Amino acid sequence: MTRESNAVGEVITFSIPSRLELLPVLDRLMQGIAEQMEFDEDTAGEVAISVIEAGTNAIQHGHGHDPLKPVAFRFELYPEHLRVCVTDTGPGFNLADVTISDPTSPEDLMKSRGRGIFIMRRMMDAVDFEIDPKKGTRVFLTKFKRVNGRATAAS
Amino acid sequence: MKLVQQAEGDVLVLRLGGQLMGGPDADALRSTILASIQQGTEKILIDLGEITWVNSTGLGVLITSHLAARGKGGSLKLVGVSKRIESILSVTRLNTVFEVFSTEEDARKSFRSSPSGGSEEG
Repeated sequence: MTRESNAVGEVITFSIPSRLELLPVLDRLMQGIAEQMEFDEDTAGEVAISVIEAGTNAIQHGHGHDPLKPVAFRFELYPEHLRVCVTDTGPGFNLADVTISDPTSPEDLMKSRGRGIFIMRRMMDAVDFEIDPKKGTRVFLTKFKRVNGRATAAS
Repeated sequence: MKLVQQAEGDVLVLRLGGQLMGGPDADALRSTILASIQQGTEKILIDLGEITWVNSTGLGVLITSHLAARGKGGSLKLVGVSKRIESILSVTRLNTVFEVFSTEEDARKSFRSSPSGGSEEG
């Protein structure tokens, strides 16, 4: 794990082999970051769940569970928001395919897959992707601090 | 992931611990449940009380198991659902699919209230 400060905020980076059972290792780190950000319990939980989902996608779909391929996590702590980048080196996917699907719709509710990105989008203030079939996929998760139950800034 | 099976009357109780995150452990859980259903088990109670993490892949295992039980006229119910798991179930609307109980006794009463073990509204 590395930690640095720059002009825009404090940055913590961390990487794990592509093994799902290692994802909870991030839990304690995310608890610490949530304390630094002064997130309330619900916000901290939503961030943790979303980061785990992004990591799950990277391990399963990006790296095909190949433990030799590390998944990188970058946490950028700003005064009003947290930005997390999860990176894999896989071939990516067609974002349109997951954008149009709604796993809560009656026809898809009982499907056993396809909820990861939906969960991230519901729990974070912004979810963005950079997909390059040659370089890999980067998922950016942004969460603003809450004041009286509302985000401190629009994303 | 920790998995402890216990047959209590006609109810199969599965007590899970650790992580329900996909991978070999989740595959083993799915196989265990599907084999039990094939052997005639209709009432399955999954205790998530010691589960520390569930992701969308883990939810998929529960859905597959639920569908298999329902396909045989049975049902699968949950107990020991943490606040974090509850929030995932709520966001995905799977809280409308799974019957969640506060205690094992409440779940057992529910099983007893309908012969097939399914929810009264079907």
